Amino acid sequence: MKVGMISFAHLHATSYASALLEMPWVEFVGIYDEDNDRAKEWASKLGVKHFEKLDDLLKTDIEAVIICSTNADHCHYTVKAAEAGKHVLVEKPIATTIEDANKMIETCKKNNVKLQIAFPVRYMPAVIEAKNIVQSGKLGRILAIKGTNHGSMPGGWFTEKDKAGGGAVMDHTVHVVDIIRWMFGFEFKEVYAEYDRLIHDIETDDCGLLTMELTNNVFATLDTSWNRPTAYPTWGDVTMTIVGTNGVLELDAYGQKFDIYNNDVKKAQWEHWGGNSDYFLVKDFLEACKNDTPVKVTGEDGLRALEVALAAYESGKKKMPVKIEDIR
Amino acid sequence: MKPGLKVGLIGGGTMGTAHAEAYRVIENAELVAVADLRPERAQAIATKTGATVRTASEIIADPNIDVIDVCLPTYLHRDYVVAAAEAGKHVFCEKPMARSLKEAEEMKAACEKAGVKLGIGHVVRFFPEYVRAYEKVKAGAVGDVAVVRCTRGGFPLPTAWQDWYANYELSGGLVLDMIIHDFDFLRWLLGPAERVFAKSTRGREYNRLEYALVTIKFKSGAIAHVEGSWVNGGGFHTRFEIAGSNGLIDYDSRKANPITVTVASKDGVPGVPVPASAWVENPYTTEIRNFINVLDGKEGTIVDGNEGYESLRIALAALESIETGKPVSL
Ligand SMILES: NC(=O)c1ccc[n+]([C@@H]2O[C@H](COP(=O)([O-])OP(=O)(O)OC[C@H]3O[C@@H](n4cnc5c(N)ncnc54)[C@H](O)[C@@H]3O)[C@@H](O)[C@H]2O)c1
Repeated sequence: MKVGMISFAHLHATSYASALLEMPWVEFVGIYDEDNDRAKEWASKLGVKHFEKLDDLLKTDIEAVIICSTNADHCHYTVKAAEAGKHVLVEKPIATTIEDANKMIETCKKNNVKLQIAFPVRYMPAVIEAKNIVQSGKLGRILAIKGTNHGSMPGGWFTEKDKAGGGAVMDHTVHVVDIIRWMFGFEFKEVYAEYDRLIHDIETDDCGLLTMELTNNVFATLDTSWNRPTAYPTWGDVTMTIVGTNGVLELDAYGQKFDIYNNDVKKAQWEHWGGNSDYFLVKDFLEACKNDTPVKVTGEDGLRALEVALAAYESGKKKMPVKIEDIR
Repeated sequence: MKPGLKVGLIGGGTMGTAHAEAYRVIENAELVAVADLRPERAQAIATKTGATVRTASEIIADPNIDVIDVCLPTYLHRDYVVAAAEAGKHVFCEKPMARSLKEAEEMKAACEKAGVKLGIGHVVRFFPEYVRAYEKVKAGAVGDVAVVRCTRGGFPLPTAWQDWYANYELSGGLVLDMIIHDFDFLRWLLGPAERVFAKSTRGREYNRLEYALVTIKFKSGAIAHVEGSWVNGGGFHTRFEIAGSNGLIDYDSRKANPITVTVASKDGVPGVPVPASAWVENPYTTEIRNFINVLDGKEGTIVDGNEGYESLRIALAALESIETGKPVSL
């Protein structure tokens, strides 16, 4: 199966590229990037072709593309690829606006190609196991969920509002929202958010705290802050405390780790060994393309997660909770 | 008889018993009398400490008593604190200061009018891990504070006299009774709060199982998140994470155990590990020593009625937000 990649603006691209190269049944054809030098650099590093024009890549007989552009460019590239008949795996968040997300979903449907959003957290063994436990009913009825998706400040276009669509809230709302929808089947009804730029000298917010009302009378909070200092042992976290009538489950998705103390690095480091979820994500997507089965994370899933982030920004402006239906 | 201030204790339940222990080791104060509606509770404390069992009104009326320590259920704080102040006694009162702002105002006013000191038992300000974190933050360990996360609980609702904790009208539930500790710590660390938004299982679930998540925006800009839990989650524990512009402090009481004891039971079945703590001094003792020393002119400041009042405001704002579903500005 032949696959191409569009844009290496988001560094997850390198991880997806390695995944492509690891699968013997996949042929990684080449890279197009709006930054031609970056395309050249990665193409030569990875031993694949580089395309100076997007159309040249899309003209080849690749069946699918992986898009790792800025958030704002997701729509443009997805539409182009779909119209060329290519399946699409696009980095999260699906887009920066609801209109763009809808356009992506519709165009893919119309052209009969698959659209998957890159939510690798769904593929982490610890998260899958937590889902199994939740679904066993052991915790009783779910009352509340406390989540975190902390990170380090990513820099670059992530802090430019027109390219990223926002800051920490845009970047780190969607993973946990997606996991909650997938794990419990709950939908999000209302969002209240406190966010601010408190740490870094950047254009966007770097700290965010969302409180959300869900279906089934469940409430949740989510901390999206880019507040891991450079001295922190790792980039960030994905954690959830799930409170049920019968018990509590605490999930630390990257908890399978050991500590490294190295004199050259001069800080403790956490080494996660719980599995390469990016690999499983790419593999699952390509298998769905190959076998023509439904993708695991749909465009609608991406849209639902985006809505929560957008409602959070709306709430911050109004200093009031915002209903999801009101921003649709 | 010890030299120093004479103390009368009203309320000999869980906290009264802890306070009575403190007076045994504090040099410049003596517990001389104890009152409790349940005579056996008062008697148990009297036997241990040498105090005399008396009624609350006898204690308040006794001219030889300098300090009244109120360890009654929250909804009774106002009546006894006001009566003690009117009798010219200094008062130490357990947190939360009161069940309502009006009651707290009356307590402050009565103490001001009588010219007596009022201390509120926000003991977390005397727990060594919180004190050290406070000092480190003030010394610049994390830079400017951005986001603070606090956790308290993980055990079922406490059982007490007449099960008063389970009665929301009397105790204010988890938010007023327990995580006010964190509100007070945060206020101490960050200054005045601006806005509170909160959710709780109250009204969604029967009230013995309570779980709450509270967001506070501070005037300093900092954002805080407080988790409180009366759901059994492996036993009582506390956590805090203080993230700032230049660093981060991370604490989890479950990971800070100097001692874990595991003993097999008689039939050879492996036992459950039980963490043990090793304190230089019980923080409740430090707290009461501080109050006594201030009365004695040996230390400067206490957590007074104004402090208790401000922390109460945050807790009540959180309760209001839970009820209305809207943020409450302070
Ligand atoms: N600082 C802390 O860490 C902490 C911890 C627990 C409780 N508290 C606070 O301490 C206070 C007491 O709580 P507790 O857990 O000790 O409650 P408790 O029910 O164990 O004790 C209250 C005692 O007061 C007695 N009592 C009730 N009415 C009385 C009256 N009119 N006259 C005399 N005695 C009377 C009861 O018999 C009971 O023994 C509450 O405000 C609570 O919120 C603080």
